[in-house]
Amino acid sequence: MLRELRADTPWPEADRIATMQAALLIRTRHKAGRPFLRRLGRPMLLAGAVGLMTIITAALVLAGRSGGAPPQAAPSRHTAAPATPSTAPRYADPAEVLEQAALVAATRPDEAPPRPDQWQYRKYLSQQPLGDPGEVDVMEEWIRYDGKQTAFSDATGELRVRDTGPDPGDDDLSPEGYDRKLRALPTDPDALLARISGDRHWIDRPSEDSSHEDSAQRAFRVISVYLGQQAVMPPKLEAAMYRALAKIPGVEIEVGVRDGAGREGLGVFRKDPRNDLTRDYLILKPGDFRLLGSRSIYLRDMAARDSFPGIPKGAVYATAELASGIVDEAGQRP
Amino acid sequence: MVDALRADMSHRADDAELIRRSRDEPDEFATLFGRHGPELHRYVTRRLGGSLADDIVADTFLVAFRRRGRYDLTRPDARPWLYGIAANLIGKHHRAEVRFCRALARTGVDEVAETYADRVAERVTASAAHRRLASALATLSAGDREVLLLIAWADLSYDEVAHAMGIPVGTVRSRLHRARKKTRAALGGVDPTAIEGVRDHG
Repeated sequence: MLRELRADTPWPEADRIATMQAALLIRTRHKAGRPFLRRLGRPMLLAGAVGLMTIITAALVLAGRSGGAPPQAAPSRHTAAPATPSTAPRYADPAEVLEQAALVAATRPDEAPPRPDQWQYRKYLSQQPLGDPGEVDVMEEWIRYDGKQTAFSDATGELRVRDTGPDPGDDDLSPEGYDRKLRALPTDPDALLARISGDRHWIDRPSEDSSHEDSAQRAFRVISVYLGQQAVMPPKLEAAMYRALAKIPGVEIEVGVRDGAGREGLGVFRKDPRNDLTRDYLILKPGDFRLLGSRSIYLRDMAARDSFPGIPKGAVYATAELASGIVDEAGQRP
Repeated sequence: MVDALRADMSHRADDAELIRRSRDEPDEFATLFGRHGPELHRYVTRRLGGSLADDIVADTFLVAFRRRGRYDLTRPDARPWLYGIAANLIGKHHRAEVRFCRALARTGVDEVAETYADRVAERVTASAAHRRLASALATLSAGDREVLLLIAWADLSYDEVAHAMGIPVGTVRSRLHRARKKTRAALGGVDPTAIEGVRDHG
């Protein structure tokens, strides 16, 4: 489906590419400090079909256009969405906070798994960086517990139910698939970490991937995924997840991190020296340690050197979980 | 055309060799454009429409040219490097892309496709699933969307995406997982029968 979206995008016409290629040739020569005219007599490196005249014409057109103002005006530098308005980040002792989370999680009621034909409902919002304040996207969706169908309300409010085509290569599971996977996990934190780090499912999938990640990175990633599955999480296992998190090197907790709805919580993140682009928080509600949402902050400009920042340092993308629960029919809300 | 270009690559210098030569002979860089320019142009057109694609692709190669001295010559294929530069330039139009996606979701009219389609003959209202997909794309973070589309539309591998974006491959995986989860309701794609992992360690 994603591959179908705009699959009819055309390849650029040959003359468009030739013109751009000629323009590049001129500008790179200029940058390299070589006069254009002196080198005109040399054989061109362009593909045979493109005549010299095209190149000269393109050069003239380009020269005609580029007089005066610089080709690209400097963009107004957007102000980043305000970060958590405290002056400096405040951190908490991860071992202490996560132990507290474990104690609270262990007291949650142990609910029976839903029926395969029931539906998991989720409503969440996302806030883009550089968006106007209050400009958010809200999404509502249903997935059948056995994963065989998904549903959403279209723009007119009409419910659309869709059969799910199996994608055996994907790493994501149906709610029922997560349920079974979670219930087979050990509740001792060390055993849990070992099992998660060595789980072939998260190593081999997505199946088109042959890359390598280290086991701490994988453990943090997979526990983050599991904690997003709270509707089916056995309480003792959730407790073990928090204790396991505390054992992963680099895991830290920042206090007063805001989700996409502006709610403050405990921001769990992992310092990864190889990721200097964003810091990604999982935000837990203080007190009951339910998942509030997520926040990603840009630690540097997202930009190639020598070019304008696309997304400036300090910009924030955030989400918020607004509602979730199990219902009998698609379209119902808990 | 592209197949011909690709075939051409096999018995010519690889990208690293071209870039190395271009440090002394700037004209070699135009050959790199001939190889990868069309593919990048199509990718950017698919993201932002035909009107922005010319500028973004031209800027991508100019930035690349300026940075050619720092290119890692052990990498024979320059596509990840070029896509990475293009991604940053696309990021500059992040707000516009989100706006296009929201508009497609709301109205069913794809302003991006209209920049290249024959307006009168081909004005097609998007299917409900495409509209839903567009609204899901609008909710992704710029980084998650880039990872998803580099894999789905540019056919880069995970390692190549990690290299292009300058992030560890584990981050690629978690971004892709998040992005796929959010597009799930429109895309489908969970395997309802997948429960392995339990058996693997039993």
